[in-house]
Amino acid sequence: MRVVVADDAVLLREGLARLLVEAGFEVAGLASDGSELLELVERARPDVAIVDIRMPPTHTDEGLQAAKQIRARWPRTGILVLSQHVHAGYALELLSAGTDGVGYLLKERVSDLAELAASVQRVGAGGSVLDPAVVSQLVSRRRQDDDPVTKLTGREREVLALMAEGRSNKAIAEQLFVSEYTVEKHVGNIFTTLRLPPSPDDHRRVLAVVAFLNAQ
Amino acid sequence: MGAVPLTRSRPWQAGEPGQAAQVITWLVAAAGLLAGAAVAWIVSHGGPDRIGVPNLPLAVPVVVLVGWSFIGSGLLYWWSRPGNHIAAVLIFQGFAWFASMLPDSHNPVLFTIGQAVYPFQYASGLYLILSFPSGRLQGRLDRALVAVAVALVTLGNWAWLLFADSHRMMCHTCPANLLELTRDDAAVVDVFYVLRFGGIVIALTSIGLLATRWRRASRAQRHAVMPVAVAGVVAFAALIAAYVARVAGMSSPTVFDSFAFYASAAVPVAVLAVLIQRRLARGAVAGLVVELGGPGQAGDPREALSRALGDPSLALGYWFAAESRYVDRNGGPVEFPGAGSGRSSTVVERDGQPVAVLIHDAALDDNARLVQSVGAAAGLALENERLQAELRARLVELQASRARLVEATDAERRRIERDLHDGTQQRLVSIAMSLGLADAKLPAAGAEAKPIVAQTREELAAALAELRDLTQGIYPTILTERGLGAALDELCGRAAITAHLRLFLDGRLPAPVETAAYYVVSEALTNAAKHSRASAVRVAATCADGLLTVEIADDGVGGAGAGAGRGSGLRGLADRVDALGGRLTVSSPPGQGTTLRMELPCG
Repeated sequence: MRVVVADDAVLLREGLARLLVEAGFEVAGLASDGSELLELVERARPDVAIVDIRMPPTHTDEGLQAAKQIRARWPRTGILVLSQHVHAGYALELLSAGTDGVGYLLKERVSDLAELAASVQRVGAGGSVLDPAVVSQLVSRRRQDDDPVTKLTGREREVLALMAEGRSNKAIAEQLFVSEYTVEKHVGNIFTTLRLPPSPDDHRRVLAVVAFLNAQ
Repeated sequence: MGAVPLTRSRPWQAGEPGQAAQVITWLVAAAGLLAGAAVAWIVSHGGPDRIGVPNLPLAVPVVVLVGWSFIGSGLLYWWSRPGNHIAAVLIFQGFAWFASMLPDSHNPVLFTIGQAVYPFQYASGLYLILSFPSGRLQGRLDRALVAVAVALVTLGNWAWLLFADSHRMMCHTCPANLLELTRDDAAVVDVFYVLRFGGIVIALTSIGLLATRWRRASRAQRHAVMPVAVAGVVAFAALIAAYVARVAGMSSPTVFDSFAFYASAAVPVAVLAVLIQRRLARGAVAGLVVELGGPGQAGDPREALSRALGDPSLALGYWFAAESRYVDRNGGPVEFPGAGSGRSSTVVERDGQPVAVLIHDAALDDNARLVQSVGAAAGLALENERLQAELRARLVELQASRARLVEATDAERRRIERDLHDGTQQRLVSIAMSLGLADAKLPAAGAEAKPIVAQTREELAAALAELRDLTQGIYPTILTERGLGAALDELCGRAAITAHLRLFLDGRLPAPVETAAYYVVSEALTNAAKHSRASAVRVAATCADGLLTVEIADDGVGGAGAGAGRGSGLRGLADRVDALGGRLTVSSPPGQGTTLRMELPCG
């Protein structure tokens, strides 16, 4: 799988490239700001672009803006955004045009090479990845009293959060130390409460969750 | 702001004119009286077809009174405002008026002199009307008109006299024209037409000029020149009519000549009217003293001053001694009028110290004495107002400096956040990478090291999470990037207590306002989570009618403010809000929850 990396800090850019090579990816190029990234993607046509949000010249959300442009111009290129901050709003902005091949991870997740590799793989394959911290922020916040999320039980919210991370029922069951059957029951209740038709497909579950979160 | 104009009281304003001036005044007055009497005698003994003064009812008294009022007004102006050219112009006009009657004399010498200076009064009259009330011509066109008029009444008139036979060209009973070199009737007629044509052109142009000036004039300016301008236009019109009648061949003297004669008599009457009007205006100063000095008099003296000066556009500035500048009633800066803006300024002093500046219509410059007396009369009221204005100016300064402090604090916080992000955070992430790499490369034989690596990794993740919270607490980047709404949404999302957020915000607000609102909500949420024992918090932010209202209400135990340790964070925030011109109130009755309410101007 071909990837490119964009980060203005040379230490992180080079380090990330090394990690990715180590994990078996082909690093097709490095960029240090948004416009460089766009040129690089146009030239190299990678499977995944790994993008730092805060980059020059504005040092605000350059990376996010570049990511949105990549989504619009090269929809087959997956985007994995790395951020030092948990900005659920940014994740939603990124997902608003569709959840295929999009991911949002905190930077410190790079300390687990296996998980990083799995995330890149999943985004490259058209799946989606959301950092658990982001998901918990999305799920835990309430906006209005008539928000259906408020009607979920605590356990159901936990399950929804894990679903949003893209985990299977089996994985959720392992995580929560319950049987897979119990998880299935929770998932069914969640879909009923949120008025979403259930689906056996992992990816479509994320899509549904994200669509729900996004619709607010 | 330009240089501060300091109009010190001038010496002539303090006392009466000097002895030399008095002698000159009496001499001029005596000469005027004599000239008037002589002219009265000459005119009343003139022949039946006299040419200086038409045979009209009351012609002789009118002639004398007009001349005397010109000279008298001139002397009055000179006494009240030496240095103003208008006095000289008026006195000259009076004597020129008398001189124009000399052609009625039977004496050939006086007759010839009268013929030579007869039209001088037209040139000086033109100068008078165009330059009133300053005595200075205002533009190139004015000067050109007067120059042409002077050329016509001197060179043109004298050229005519060189060829004119008095009996043929003037009147049957006239004495001889001593200046006649040779008789040339054709040349006389030609020159005569040039003179009349020139006169009509000058009169028409002057009417146009006065009309234009009138349209552009401010109220006060119109007030100052109205009688003279009207009389001037009437006199010009009458002269044109008389000339046209002559050119059209009507027999002399025509009804238009009579009209022109009486119309020129209107000019000195108008000049006198203006003088009297000014005397009356000065009477208003006495009323002002009473009005401003009355018991319980407080508030803005502008109204009273504006009435006394007859200038509704009057503005006041008060001396802010600490910064050597003028401020308005509310402590705001005062703009001084630039040159040519039609506005002017006069400084009022007490005991040699500036108190206030009156910014008034430039037309009042011609009556500087009135402005000075009005300012002096209002001195005490202005001094009182000045002290208050100074206090307000200090408050304005203080407010501005507090706002600057808040901004400086925010800038510093932003810098620290950036330094942490670019430095420590990145280094820690880099370490996390190395750790990940090391972990991946650990041989199976190093299995004992695996848990240590895993634990280090967790510690590192915790350190990064703490650092993340710290940096966001120092300065929330999302505030700059996405605005208050998004920032509050996130803040409520990650709060340690359930927070319901309602936003009624439209677009971005000024950065200091957003920052203050963010910190207030953040502090309130922290306090609610720590102390209130509340189950939920409601947060609402509304920006309407230029006011941002943020309310954070919990359903906890209340009684905040009594609890130790709660105050300092809120006090700092209250200072911050106050510095931006808003306010922060806490309502926390025991058992009824705590409500924090912040109001900040947001437009």
